[in-house]
Amino acid sequence: MTNSNSLETQEAREKLASAASSEVIIELDKVNKWYAEFHVLKDIDLVVHKGERIVVCGPSGSGKSTLIRCINRLEEHQAGSIVVDGITLNKNLKNIDHIRTEVGMVFQSFNLFPHLSILENLTLGPIWTRHMPKAEARETAMKYLERVKIPEQADKFPGQLSGGQQQRVAIARSLCMNPKIMLFDEPTSALDPEMIKEVLDVMVELAETGMTMIVVTHEMGFAKTIADRVIFMDEGDVVEENEPNEFFTNPQHERTRLFLSQIL
Amino acid sequence: MAIVKLEKTPARPAPLTERSVIGWMHRHLFSSVLNSILTIVTLYIVFITVRDLWVWGIADAVWIAESRRECFDINISGACWAGVLAWMDNIIYGRYPREELWRLNLGLIVLAIWMAPLWLPRVKAKILIGLSVVFLYPFMAGYLFAGGEKGIFMQIMVTAAIVCLACNTLHSIIGVSGGGGLREFLFRLPAIKDAPEMSQRNILLCLFGVSFVAVFVWQMSWNLDGVPWTQWGGLFLTLVIAGVGIASALPGGIILALGRRSRLPVIRVLSTAFIELFRSVPLITVLFMATAMFPLFMPEGIVLNKLVQVMIAVCLFNACYMAETVRGGLQTIPKGQFEGAHTIGLGYWRTMGLIVMPQALKHMIPNIVGNFIGLLKDTTLVSIIGLFDILGMLRAVSVDGAWRGLHNEPLIFGATLFFLICFAMSKYSRRLEQKLSTDHKH
Repeated sequence: MTNSNSLETQEAREKLASAASSEVIIELDKVNKWYAEFHVLKDIDLVVHKGERIVVCGPSGSGKSTLIRCINRLEEHQAGSIVVDGITLNKNLKNIDHIRTEVGMVFQSFNLFPHLSILENLTLGPIWTRHMPKAEARETAMKYLERVKIPEQADKFPGQLSGGQQQRVAIARSLCMNPKIMLFDEPTSALDPEMIKEVLDVMVELAETGMTMIVVTHEMGFAKTIADRVIFMDEGDVVEENEPNEFFTNPQHERTRLFLSQIL
Repeated sequence: MAIVKLEKTPARPAPLTERSVIGWMHRHLFSSVLNSILTIVTLYIVFITVRDLWVWGIADAVWIAESRRECFDINISGACWAGVLAWMDNIIYGRYPREELWRLNLGLIVLAIWMAPLWLPRVKAKILIGLSVVFLYPFMAGYLFAGGEKGIFMQIMVTAAIVCLACNTLHSIIGVSGGGGLREFLFRLPAIKDAPEMSQRNILLCLFGVSFVAVFVWQMSWNLDGVPWTQWGGLFLTLVIAGVGIASALPGGIILALGRRSRLPVIRVLSTAFIELFRSVPLITVLFMATAMFPLFMPEGIVLNKLVQVMIAVCLFNACYMAETVRGGLQTIPKGQFEGAHTIGLGYWRTMGLIVMPQALKHMIPNIVGNFIGLLKDTTLVSIIGLFDILGMLRAVSVDGAWRGLHNEPLIFGATLFFLICFAMSKYSRRLEQKLSTDHKH
C-alpha cells in the first residue's frame, strides 16, 4: 500500500461515517449447515446492526457465500437460529417470501432475466410482489436506473449490455424492492478489470445512503473504504472479526495473515 | 523488413474463388475426381426421378374420367387423378352428411377468425386470446360438429364462446385501427367515461351480463341435427383428433413435467410412473387399450363413444411425451434464474410462470413443434381401430367399385397433403424461434 492510496481511503472513509445504529437487524445464533456430510458452517454467531456494512472474506470453500445465502434462505440451515428483521427463518413459506422482499441480493453471475427488457427486469418484483401500479413501478425503476447511471439502457435486453452494466442493473433490480438489507455475493468476481470500478462505485454510493450491507468480496480496497467490520472465514468458522484498519494492518490469526499476504 | 506498420491496412475484397458461383462450385462440387463423379451421378439420378415423376404425375396424367378403366383407356402410363378428385369430398370430410358440410366449414372459419388476432400487430392481450381459443373454441366446435340435444352446460359454454369470440373480434378490430383494446375503447365512451370510478367496473360487468343473456336466449332456439361420430372421417377427423391432442398436450405436459420435478414425493412418483408407463408403450397399444379396456372400468350403463376414448388416449400419450420435452427445456434454465426470481420475492408459481416457463418454452419450440408434427402423423393409427380418418379414406378409394385397385394416387395425394401441413408447421416454428429470440448473442 502506498501512502497516497491510504490517504485516499482515509478521505473516502470520512465521507462514509458509519451509519450503524444500535438496532439489531440480523442475528445469527449458533448457525450450522451441512451439504450432505460436509460441514460448511460451524456455530456461526453474528449480529448485524441497522446501517452496518460488513465485508466477508476468506478463501474459496470457506462458507462465506453459504453464510449470506442462508440469510435470505436460498440455503436452508440445519441448526441454530437466524432472525432477520424480527422474523425467525424457519419452514414457514410466508415468512420466507416476506424476508426475501426485505432482503435484496446481488449475485456473481448477475442472474438477470434474459427474456425481459431491463425495465421489465426492474418492475417485475414491485408489480408482482409489492402490487405496485405499473406506472409507479416504472417510475421507481427509472429512478434507480439513473442512480446506477444507465437510464438510457432501459429498453434493451440483458444480453445487449456489458457485464458491468448488467451487474448495475442487478443492483437496481434489488433496490426497486426497497429492501432493508442488501447482500452481495462476490459481485465483481465475474467482471473484467475495467468494469469492476463502475460496479464498486455504485456500491460505495449505496453505502453512503446508509443501507445495511453484507458483502462477500475479494476487493480489499473496497473493504477498507466502506466496511464497518471485516469478517474472515476459514473452513466454516469465523476466524477473525475486526474493524478494517486493524484487520488489514494487524491481523491476529495466522490463517488471516497468510490469506492477506497472498491477496494483497 | 518492418514488422510494425505505421498506417492502418485497408480492408480488401476476398479473392475471386471465395465470391463467384464458379468458385463456389469448384470448392463444393468438383473439388476432387471422386467428388466430381459423385456430383454427376447424383445429378443424373435427380434428373431421372424428376423427369419420370413429371411424365407420370403431370404430363401423362388423367384428370377427368368416370372410372379407373376409363383412365387406362385414355392413357395407361399416367396417373389417374380423376379417382382422387372424385373422392375428394370423402377424403376431406369423410362420410359427414353432405347437406351439413357447412357446419365443418363454418367451424374452420370461426377458428381462423378467432386465431387471426394472434398474428396481427398492435393487438393486446394475445395470451388471453390464445387461452380463450384453447378453452372455449372446443365446445363451440364440438357442438357445431356433433349437433344434437344441447345440455345446459353445453348451452352455457356455447354462449360463452360466442360472447368471447365477439369481444375478441371487436377487441382486435379496435386494436388494429390503433385504438388500444376493447377495454380502452369502452372507457372512452361518454357514458362510461363520466361515470364514477366505482361504477365503471359495474357498467362493464352489466354490459357483459346483458350480452351473455341475450346470446343465451338467442342460441336456445338453435337446433342442429345430431351427426354421430361414426360419420366423422377424412382429413376433418384427423384434424379434430390432432387438434384436441395439440391443444391439450402442452398444458398436460407442463403439469406432468412440474409434477416430476416436484419436491413432494407422492406427486413426483405418481407423475414419473404415469409418464414412464405411457412412454414405454406404443401408441397403437394405448389406442387398443383405450377402446377395449376403458369401458371395463366405467360404471355400468355409461357407454363412452369410441372417438372420445381415442381422443383421451391420444391426449394422455402426447402429454407424456410433451412432459419429457418440457422437462428437458426446464433443465436448460440455470439455477441462478430461480434464485434471482426468489430474491425479488417471487414464489414458486410466479417464478415458474413469469421467469422459467417463458424461457424454457422458447428453447423448446423446435422440440414442441416436432412433437406436434409427430402427433399429427400418429393420428393415422386410428384407422387401424376402425375410425375412417384420412388414411382410412385414402385406402377406401381402392375398394370403391369404379376405382378398384387405385392405391398409389390417393396415397401420394395424402403424403403430399401431410408434407405440406408438416412442412408449414416446421417453417413456422423456425420463424417463431427467430422472432422470440432475445438472446442477442453476437
